[in-house]
Amino acid sequence: MQSKPWRSVFRTALPIKTNLDRSLVMFNSLALHIQPVKVRERAIRFSYTFYLGMISFFLFMVLVVTGILLMLYYQPAIPNAYENMKDLQYVVSSGIFLRNLHRWAAHLMVISVFLHMLRVFFAGAYRPPREFNWVIGVLLLLLTLLLSYTGYLLPYDQLAYWAVTVGSNIVKYVPIIGKNIRFVLLGGNTIGEYTLVRFYVLHCVVLPLFITSLIALHFWRIRKDGGLY
Amino acid sequence: MKLKPNNAADAKENSTKNMTRRQFMGAIGHTASGMAVAGGLVMVYKFLYPNVLLEIPSRFKIASINSLQPGSHVFEPEHRVFAFHDTRGYFFALSAVCTHLGCTVAWKSEGITGHKEGIFLCPCHGSEFTKEGDVIRGPARRHLDRYHMAVDEGQLIVDTSETVNTIEDMILKV
Ligand code: HEM
Ligand code: FES
Repeated sequence: MQSKPWRSVFRTALPIKTNLDRSLVMFNSLALHIQPVKVRERAIRFSYTFYLGMISFFLFMVLVVTGILLMLYYQPAIPNAYENMKDLQYVVSSGIFLRNLHRWAAHLMVISVFLHMLRVFFAGAYRPPREFNWVIGVLLLLLTLLLSYTGYLLPYDQLAYWAVTVGSNIVKYVPIIGKNIRFVLLGGNTIGEYTLVRFYVLHCVVLPLFITSLIALHFWRIRKDGGLY
Repeated sequence: MKLKPNNAADAKENSTKNMTRRQFMGAIGHTASGMAVAGGLVMVYKFLYPNVLLEIPSRFKIASINSLQPGSHVFEPEHRVFAFHDTRGYFFALSAVCTHLGCTVAWKSEGITGHKEGIFLCPCHGSEFTKEGDVIRGPARRHLDRYHMAVDEGQLIVDTSETVNTIEDMILKV
């Protein structure tokens, strides 16, 4: 176990004795260096954050894993989309479990992101120097909602169709450019093949890329703003 | 990019005349990049705007005059259009697309108090419309789209791309 290649996995030499050694363990590891070397005690207390941000992040991870698996049986086309969903429920082993996991995690993520925001608000943790992280947070909430909205169309059932009809008609009320935004979003005047593909690409590629980058920025700013408030 | 003048007033006076070579190249470079980005954005926008739609044609036959009896109506679900043959002898056609947020309204022939001839009811947020499409109750604020039907070899033809504003324009007397 103490072979040279094995020890080379960890960039800190044993034994660890001093506080400097302990901090080097953190600095020298890709996985650990996301953590600060020191934290305030109250920052790791459950009753302080309720771990809501981490719960949101965990739910996002669940969504990525289950989402990628769902993608293997899902085609964004009419009538395939709806049939694929039914196959996932009744034909594919564990399909219904994965689908429900994805759906429940999506609902829970909206709730946990929102509660996380409330926690930050009531702790006053949006104050200087953390204003920018609050702004990033607002974007993260928006992206979470947009992911849910675009995902909602994908089963292409009645609920999906009418929810997106109503939602995209709200967009029409944007002054001057509203009708154009709606046309480009739907790829037409009504929901159809193009809409399904557009929402699919937004849901599975564009929005996850944005939210992943912003989550990274969010976490980095927590560290640079001096840890949890 | 920084100009280092002897005094600020001098710099202001000479800034257009005495542009350094570096500033000049910089200006060309930034203009070119700006134009490339703007052009790219225009192209992406045009790309997102489909030229050919996979949608059904707006002009279609909804019923034949003879089969639509007085006091009856038909509903064409693809285009979401109602055509009525009124007992007073005329025909008219209305869009079933709720003017609030686009759900399909349902025809309720039993009507409500004050509108015994029947009403349209939207299942999404409860808007109500008269038989001629006027708003009885919101959230919808505009009347249902009205169409003037054409008659072609005994067939009633609707074109959903051409709406009319008044009830009189909508009515077709044959
Ligand atoms: C914050 C992240 C996400 C949220 C809030 C979210 C939300 C949703 C929702 C509400 C649905 C409808 C589910 C249903 O009706 O069963 C859905 C479906 C879907 N999602 Fe996600 N999603 C997220 C991330 C992802 C990711 C990262 C992927 C892929 C990499 C993905 C792939 C899919 C697929 C393929 C479907 C269609 C299958 C289905 O409807 O169950 N999702 N998503
Ligand atoms: S869409 Fe008809 S009442 Fe809202």
